[in-house]
Amino acid sequence: MRKFFSNPAVREVLRVIIAVGAALLLGFIVTLFVSEDPLGAYKAFLLGPLSKFNRFGDWIEESITLILVGLSVAVAFKANMFSMGTEGQLLLGALVSGSIALFVPLPAILRIPLAIIGAMVAGFAWGWIPGYLKAHLNANEIVSTLMLNAIALKIYDYFLIFHIKADDAGYNASDFFPKEGLFPSFIPNLPFLEGAYALFSDKTNITIMVYVLIIAVIAAYYLIFRTPFGYKLRMIGSNIKFARYGGINTKRTTILVFAISGIFGGLAGAHLTMGIHTKLIANISIGMGFEGIIVAILARNNPLLIPITGLAYGYLRAGANVMERASDMSREMVFVIQALIILFVTAERFLPMIQKRVEERKENNNHMEKLAPSDGGSHED
Amino acid sequence: MKIDLVLRGIFSALFLASIMRISTPLILPALGGLITELSGSINIALEGVMLTSAFTGVVVSAFTKNIWLGVLGGIISGILFSALLAYFHLYLETNIILAGMALNIMATGGTIFLLYILTGDKGNSSTLASGMVPVVEIPFIKDIPFLGTVLSGHNIFVYIAIVLTFLIHILLYNTKFGVHLRAVGENPIAATSLGIPVRSIKFTAILISGFLASLGGLNLSMAYLSLFQREMTAGRGFIALAAVYLGGRTPWGTFLAAILFGAADALSTQLGTLDIPSQWVSVIPYAITIIALVVYGIRRRAQIVEQTKRFQERELVKVDNNNHT
Repeated sequence: MRKFFSNPAVREVLRVIIAVGAALLLGFIVTLFVSEDPLGAYKAFLLGPLSKFNRFGDWIEESITLILVGLSVAVAFKANMFSMGTEGQLLLGALVSGSIALFVPLPAILRIPLAIIGAMVAGFAWGWIPGYLKAHLNANEIVSTLMLNAIALKIYDYFLIFHIKADDAGYNASDFFPKEGLFPSFIPNLPFLEGAYALFSDKTNITIMVYVLIIAVIAAYYLIFRTPFGYKLRMIGSNIKFARYGGINTKRTTILVFAISGIFGGLAGAHLTMGIHTKLIANISIGMGFEGIIVAILARNNPLLIPITGLAYGYLRAGANVMERASDMSREMVFVIQALIILFVTAERFLPMIQKRVEERKENNNHMEKLAPSDGGSHED
Repeated sequence: MKIDLVLRGIFSALFLASIMRISTPLILPALGGLITELSGSINIALEGVMLTSAFTGVVVSAFTKNIWLGVLGGIISGILFSALLAYFHLYLETNIILAGMALNIMATGGTIFLLYILTGDKGNSSTLASGMVPVVEIPFIKDIPFLGTVLSGHNIFVYIAIVLTFLIHILLYNTKFGVHLRAVGENPIAATSLGIPVRSIKFTAILISGFLASLGGLNLSMAYLSLFQREMTAGRGFIALAAVYLGGRTPWGTFLAAILFGAADALSTQLGTLDIPSQWVSVIPYAITIIALVVYGIRRRAQIVEQTKRFQERELVKVDNNNHT
């Protein structure tokens, strides 16, 4: 038993479970004080996404977005680059893929792949900019990506309102995409799958993006852990000075890290337009890129764990929506729970149980510091 | 001619006065960002602190019917909120960027949640009768034609911001605490070896930063507007961080950088009367921020080159001297 608990992976999982549990408990205490029917509200929150088939669909659709933005963030964070740029990449990915879906007169078999590639290219390009600024001018990536997000939002709004929106539309949205510009259901319309196809395409918007997502997760994993580029990325992430000293082209790698992170952000945008909303709308993503940070942190930036944390996190969010509709609690309470989860999970000394491990690691670090001069906790050279 | 109107609008005393007003909620958190920056941590939570105090100030002043209790409550809530950041970062060893992000999420959600409980509205606090801080008329100056409009008749936060910039300058460069703070930021290991209490200095720096950001938040909800709006900080906490870099990490530099951002913002409102899509105009402050980062990066690189050169020259002189003796 003791051996079981000394396994770092087990401790890690245990830690996340305890952190989530503690945050949910605090949320419940708040609910007790505020709500007139606290049990009903919390039940709606915790079981809501499974209570109806279309709610189940909402959960899965939202989780796909979360997993994609989570991958985007993880690629950057793994290299210790605190890119907040996923939001902007997502917006431009949505804009480009949506425009292709609307205006390029090609059959679906060509138009959909073109739109997906367009979204990836848009994300890549928008990610390249802060990467270049970071690599060559040492521009603080947090500030630069946040500003680029704001600019991307303005670009998105400009094209939507002045070029894409139908003239007679009362609000800022495009027409619905034609059938050739929509992702088909993830279940192929084959004779022997008729029942399932009808059920899923009727009640949910779960599309072929599921398969794209699986490819994306595997690709991200391979990229980070099984390629020379991934090795450089991780080297930069653990110690950029050491990486440079070791002969890694840190500038080139940094730029690519940001740009590749953008590819996943762009894909999330394509999913939002062509999968979920089926048109371009204003405020298509309210802070979705930032949710990716939480998904990535909970998974410790490991692409293979991101689907799990993405689904779990999507479940919380979907549950919050159900709770808001079914009770007197507002969904913003869940924001506070989210924040607590991040704090508890990322606090290195949160649980005394893992104290020992922290100390061991510290000892190792001290040992390392003697060998290589550390940059002493300052975040900038 | 519309352009004529715009130009006349820009070169007026009222425009300069509006720059002062728009810049103040940037100057105050930017000074906070400067303090943490110099102490070697980066305060991402400025945004959250501002929201928290903006909200608390409005609520306390509405329920106590006293503006100054509202201001006091806002300051205390901002400092406590920052203490949370400091505690998680310095004692529980959370990455400060992630902790800051989390606290921003908490402030956004928490303020909306509480607003909904108190007013039944998720948008703003218009049903609460909250107070506004008084406007200050400076005697004599207010009667000077142009200068009077620019300098006099602002809310007190505008003047507090100017005074605080001065005080922060003194704190950083003329006190023992300031020297220690900068030493900790420059090289914490060396500072530790000199017996400077690194952790408590960093803690204090985050608290001061929270105090300054809380004034910025109160400025928004009790002077700039007379109510609390959800997400009313609208990214000012981050633009404030950018001002720190643009200002070359000095108090007056940060002050001027914040005013530059304020001017860009005021300008974009003025240009809004032209036939340019408003989206292009409102991009200006963000684009300036990125340009500022680039300028700062280039300047910093030039500084490093300069330092290296000076160092080499000095060493060469030494070698020369040694050869002579």
